Amino acid sequence: MLMDAEATRDLDIESSVTTIGRALVAAMPTARKTPRAAVERRVMAAMVDDPELRAAVFRFVDVRPACTDPSDLARHLGELLAEADDSPLAQRGAALAGGALTKRPVAAAAALGVKQMAQRFIIGADAQAALPAVEKLWRAGVATTIDLLGEATVTEEEADSYAERCEVTLRVLHDAARRWPERPLLERDAAGAIPRVNLSVKVSALTPLLRPTAPERGIAGAEARLRRLLRVARDTGAHLHVDMESFDTREAVTELTLRLLSEPEFVDGPSAGIVLQAYLTESPQHLDRLLAWARQTPRAQPFTIRLVKGAYWDHETVEAVQHGWTPPVFQDRRACDRNFEALSRRLIDAQDADTPTRIRAAIASHNLRSIAHAAAYADARGADVELQVLRGLGDETQAALLQEGRRVRAYCPIGDLVAGMAYLVRRLLENTSNDSFLRAQAEGVDLTTLLEKP
Amino acid sequence: MSTTAATPAFANEPLLELRRADVRASALEALAALDARLPLEVPMLIGTELVRGEAFASVDPGAPERIVAHAHAAGAAHVDAAVARAVDGQQVWGARPAAERAAVLRRAAELLRGRRLELAALAVRECGKPWPEADGDVCEAIDFLMYYAAGAEALDRGRPLIQMPGERNTMKYVPRGVTGVIAPWNFPLAIAAGMASAALATGNAVVLKPAEQAPACAKAVVDALHAAGVPHDALSLLPGGDEPGRALVADHRVHTIVFTGSCAAGLSILESAAKVQHNQFHIKKVVAEMGGKNVVIVDADADLDDVVPALLSSAFGFAGQKCSAASRVLVHAQVHDALVERLAGAVRTLQVGPAEDFATDVPAVIDAAAQMRVRRYTAQAAPAATRVAAASEALPAGDGFYVAPTLLVGLPDEHPVIQEEIFGPVLAVQSVPSIAAACDAVDASRFALTGGLFSRSPKTIEEVVARTPVGNLYVNREITGAMVGRQPFGGGRLSGTGPKAGGPDYLLPFVEARAVTENTVRHGLVV
Repeated sequence: MLMDAEATRDLDIESSVTTIGRALVAAMPTARKTPRAAVERRVMAAMVDDPELRAAVFRFVDVRPACTDPSDLARHLGELLAEADDSPLAQRGAALAGGALTKRPVAAAAALGVKQMAQRFIIGADAQAALPAVEKLWRAGVATTIDLLGEATVTEEEADSYAERCEVTLRVLHDAARRWPERPLLERDAAGAIPRVNLSVKVSALTPLLRPTAPERGIAGAEARLRRLLRVARDTGAHLHVDMESFDTREAVTELTLRLLSEPEFVDGPSAGIVLQAYLTESPQHLDRLLAWARQTPRAQPFTIRLVKGAYWDHETVEAVQHGWTPPVFQDRRACDRNFEALSRRLIDAQDADTPTRIRAAIASHNLRSIAHAAAYADARGADVELQVLRGLGDETQAALLQEGRRVRAYCPIGDLVAGMAYLVRRLLENTSNDSFLRAQAEGVDLTTLLEKP
Repeated sequence: MSTTAATPAFANEPLLELRRADVRASALEALAALDARLPLEVPMLIGTELVRGEAFASVDPGAPERIVAHAHAAGAAHVDAAVARAVDGQQVWGARPAAERAAVLRRAAELLRGRRLELAALAVRECGKPWPEADGDVCEAIDFLMYYAAGAEALDRGRPLIQMPGERNTMKYVPRGVTGVIAPWNFPLAIAAGMASAALATGNAVVLKPAEQAPACAKAVVDALHAAGVPHDALSLLPGGDEPGRALVADHRVHTIVFTGSCAAGLSILESAAKVQHNQFHIKKVVAEMGGKNVVIVDADADLDDVVPALLSSAFGFAGQKCSAASRVLVHAQVHDALVERLAGAVRTLQVGPAEDFATDVPAVIDAAAQMRVRRYTAQAAPAATRVAAASEALPAGDGFYVAPTLLVGLPDEHPVIQEEIFGPVLAVQSVPSIAAACDAVDASRFALTGGLFSRSPKTIEEVVARTPVGNLYVNREITGAMVGRQPFGGGRLSGTGPKAGGPDYLLPFVEARAVTENTVRHGLVV
């Protein structure tokens, strides 16, 4: 009987998934309205179809901040494009970049291109510089979470400096956010008040001691700095969200976060959260663990679980294959998408569960089907759900969600170009990968297919 | 196409996934089980006899009071006896078809596979190898057995030659004869297994003299080979110090000597082996893998986020005691200060401690002599350096042979720390005005084992690849961790005789090529 009930509910949801999905597409800004996005799409599409060009562009983006002057830049660009033997487009570019007369203008244009691309993803060099953009989003009805980009942390001094920047950011945002107008949809849900200020932190940046074989060292190394940030967040009423990174650090990140949030001093706050990566085959068990913790740990503030697909797919796969391990990530896109939906449902259900620490579900995706599914399921359950997108990559989705009256939060990186390159490359990879939803969308795959049950 | 190429079926043995807590827990269980059995006993294995002699202790470098094994040192007389057995063993083993020998090696690999954790634990204890490296040692031992088994089978099929009407031309490879294997302690399982199995796969009897510091690991390898079916006469084990090694090299019945170790020892072996004795009707061949002074070049456009962790693991992994370890960095002046700042801070985060602790970055060095040598070098260099950074944590208490990992900046080119192999956790950084200048400096070295380059310019990479004399150049990654079949390992100049372990050519020095031409014309008729 239970099966029947579930099947019926499933069917109901499928029809509203389609309805919500179609409505979102209808609400998306069209390419005509945003010509630059259209150009970028064409460039992206060209890169997808031309793997050698794509590799050359990625490598150029990667090396760009290390280039000292335009001629250095032109040299790198020319060399990288020249390596793409089979790409006529790249060869033309290489000839252009190598030509004595055009050297400087081409390099300048390429540098500008990368800078503009980066600026689409990165909202400012530091918190102060980013304030106008953050406030503008808020006024438009979009909440944000700020992520500080930086170099890899290899020394204690670098960890201190990252923590310090986080603290400054929390305070700067706190001061500014007091003056923002009210946005009821963004400030309250069934679980209570939602902080205006939301910062995402990386444990790998809080310590140089993360070791895949010794999670305790990383935990010990990051503990004091994360504790300090939790205190600042609590005292300023901000939300602190701990990001998830590669599989190597997942154990340490999870253990550290849950351990600190269990401490008596954080019983009353701050609002905090963690990330669940649906591309990990073990993510259902990981969610079990997070929910079990919430059942056992009384905290006054909700615990937000942000569900993402995960941004380290290539890294995880390559590393596993090189070591002879089974990759920890799904190798089949549809299985991954199914898992994302199953986890979405569990998260939405968990919000209502009678636990000492309330769960808040945040569904972060640019996959129209995944978003529509989560929204449909939440609607069916009468539950609250927050949808999250990446600045630069999910702008159109964000606009549609906004127009449809759904709670949306944009993940906004702050930092300089140099620090942002790794982030930028990851985002570009995501945007141009073969199974990218955005790519399928850009290529004009029909809506019915895009909204198909995985 | 080379007939010695590995069969496509070869795949590297998967490493333990030590990033998983349950795998680490089972590793620690294996260590506890091993500890309960210590000390082990390592007698000489000469033919089927277990021979006891003057006992010596092999200890845990991190806690020398813990005796891992009591071994029995061979003398010249034992070498004589072992070689005599090997001469007999050679006849029997060398006559076995290559496929049978390969099958025996594969069985030995299977036996090692079945003892993965136990063997890794043994390398942790006996040689102070941290877990990931100890596990890598076991995997590499398995890889060598599998790879050389396949290589010997391929070699046995001979080489194609030009055929003319009326003649039949063949080229076959036959075993050379008794092989003396002198193994090091830094890859106590892998290199012992690799050198011995290359000789065995190609039909040679082996007398194995392991490093004084690693007899128990060598015995584990020999036991597996015996259990898999290598006749006892074809494989003897002679623990001990220099004496059995010297006697083995000098023995006129030995045809091939395979050695991995220091440059000085390697050169003396080459010299001794070159002397043909009155009753010796062959010229000894020496396969030697010797020292290195491995340089990493860092270009101005390098990504320091990648460079720093790669340098840490290359220079300080296993306390810098891998042949391929980085010991010198030549960094473009433009990024010199930034790199030094970050590297110095990173060195201070390194944790020195016992090898069995998963949190340890840098274990003890192998013995008291090594500890003194490294300390002497750093003490001598410190006043000449513009900057010195060392792991700031206090060294572990106790008698372990610990030294603080040290970064030395700004030493002049002629300084011993810049020129000599230290084989310890010491890294020297120097500024260079250009990549060409860095290449010149590398070119001026006596050694040519491994090298590294960090650059994001395809042209620079191409130029350095063309100019470098080193046997293994690693671009934009750490410079240690060569994999069998993927990175054939070995260098030139005073770094070795260079047939490249784990590569398609390694078996050639263990065989003699014989060409046979048969006239097939009878009375003008080709039959």
